[in-house]
Amino acid sequence: MSEPLIQLQGVSRIYDLGRVQVAALQEVDLTVEPGEFLAIVGPSGSGKSTLMNIVGCLDRPTAGTYTLAGTPVAELNDDGLARLRSRTIGFVFQSYNLLPRTSALENVATPLLYQGLSRKDRLARARAALERLGLGDRVDHVPTELSGGQQQRVAIARALVTEPALLLADEPTGNLDSASGADVMTILRELNAAGRTIVMITHDSDVASSARRQVHVRDGRLVA
Amino acid sequence: MRATELVRLALSRLGSSRLRAALTMLGVIIGVASVVSLVAVGQGATSGITKQLQGLGTNLLTVNPGRATTGFTRGAAGSVTTLTVQDAEAIGGLTGVAAVEPETSTSQLVVAGSQNTTTTIVGTTGGYTTVRNFSLWQGATLNGVAVDAALREAVLGATTADDLGLSASAIGTTIKIGSVPFQVVGILQAKGSTGPLSQDDQILVPYTTVEDHFVPGDTVRSIGISVASADQIDLVKAEITTLLESRHGIPVGGTDDFTIADQSQLLSTVGSVSALLTVLLAGIASISLLVGGIGIMNIMLVSVRERTREIGIRKAIGARGRDILAQFLVEALVLSLLGGLVGIVLGVALSALIGALAGWGFVFNPITPLIAVLFSLAVGIVFGVWPARQAARLDPIVALRYE
Repeated sequence: MSEPLIQLQGVSRIYDLGRVQVAALQEVDLTVEPGEFLAIVGPSGSGKSTLMNIVGCLDRPTAGTYTLAGTPVAELNDDGLARLRSRTIGFVFQSYNLLPRTSALENVATPLLYQGLSRKDRLARARAALERLGLGDRVDHVPTELSGGQQQRVAIARALVTEPALLLADEPTGNLDSASGADVMTILRELNAAGRTIVMITHDSDVASSARRQVHVRDGRLVA
Repeated sequence: MRATELVRLALSRLGSSRLRAALTMLGVIIGVASVVSLVAVGQGATSGITKQLQGLGTNLLTVNPGRATTGFTRGAAGSVTTLTVQDAEAIGGLTGVAAVEPETSTSQLVVAGSQNTTTTIVGTTGGYTTVRNFSLWQGATLNGVAVDAALREAVLGATTADDLGLSASAIGTTIKIGSVPFQVVGILQAKGSTGPLSQDDQILVPYTTVEDHFVPGDTVRSIGISVASADQIDLVKAEITTLLESRHGIPVGGTDDFTIADQSQLLSTVGSVSALLTVLLAGIASISLLVGGIGIMNIMLVSVRERTREIGIRKAIGARGRDILAQFLVEALVLSLLGGLVGIVLGVALSALIGALAGWGFVFNPITPLIAVLFSLAVGIVFGVWPARQAARLDPIVALRYE
């Protein structure tokens, strides 16, 4: 195999709250190869959200090194992080996080706006991504006109439209009923089967069992 | 991101909350409209007054009696009555003088049939209509024979004729001025000026007749001179000064007992006063533009807070700080610019209406809207930058968690 997609070495994230210092992550080592489907499992307060923020380049480690797709993240400024997110990562959130009052098509096309594509190309690729997820007849609907499962599928389409190396899913089934949740997990498994690297954060061991590998977070440390 | 993308984004955003956008723009609309219309009002008033002044006579010089100085006491203007009919005749012989007319005046009760009015009786010559830029509506003006023979002939101002119920058929009829019968020989065309200084409310009679029946003596109130061409005004002024000084026996360097008023002086004074007025009005109006700008800033700050989550999402999917900054700044700019454009249309319409009502017509100066647009753009930038920076600086993690 080639170089790993994600490589964390001795990563710590310490929040400085003035008098006290809280270590949300301590000395985490984690490697994810291209094509993996990894679940990061842990209860709330375990530090898994902090880990997800660091892996998603929304936050920087206070100690240790993180290399994503060959890029050392610690050396990047805010604009550099934004560019790395834009090129490399597709996010799927628990609460979908679609832009309100904005059609599914515009929502999916938005990441391409920040890559500087023309409007014509953006809309064409967004439409294709929605069709791949079976939402070809919902392109003009705004989020409030869509069910939770449909909204999450729009969010997955938005995450995939840039063809990112990494799909980062944070509790992707957390807000869904079991049928829609199973639906979303099927989609993720299919995407992984097609070669997409997926890192999923969850507290639900049933959901985690869909992944091909699991790591557990407890008190800011990786266990087993 | 390209500018067109940003404008499209801003328009779709503003389109989704039209009422709020309209109310926010209202401040800028009112500000720009008041700047545009008040400046137009100032300029319209200036040109109106200028036109009225020019209507007083072309290349007009007026010689007035000066002040009497007794010891250290200086009297009021006109407190000496040294100007005479003979002075006027002498001025008439100077080169560059097109027409000259002496004026004496008295106020008398005028009766025509059952109508009466009290008005100014101006004793003058036929030169009056030329110098003072009047034209006749009916009949004839005073001729040389009437002046020489002190005939009881009268030329009525338009307002006076109206007050007395006289029209075209009144030519040749008799009216009584201070119980002396006069024959109406002409009626003047109205100049349109109104108020206490109206030039349409007066009666012209030969100055010799005034001397015979009302005010004895050959002193005059003023002498009006029409200069042949504008570039001769200074020359004629110098000629008149030399002539009158020698006639009145005033040594060189002594204090003149007369003053010469020049139309151009008056025009430039009025011009500078009304320019000041225009600047003042614009200054007052721009305060409302400032308030409008603060309104935009307020709404943009509220908007940044409301849309914190949206900002977080955009950042997570690849927007840089400057993309967010540009998005919010362009939104503020679109608001202020749209408001500015609507304000210009409103302001131009308003100034046309005011111009029509006030009677000076519509003065459109393309510079004003241009400045108003630049001003409203500046308002958008100044009051949009701070909210936009707030938005751009948001931490995506915090913003995404924001409810």
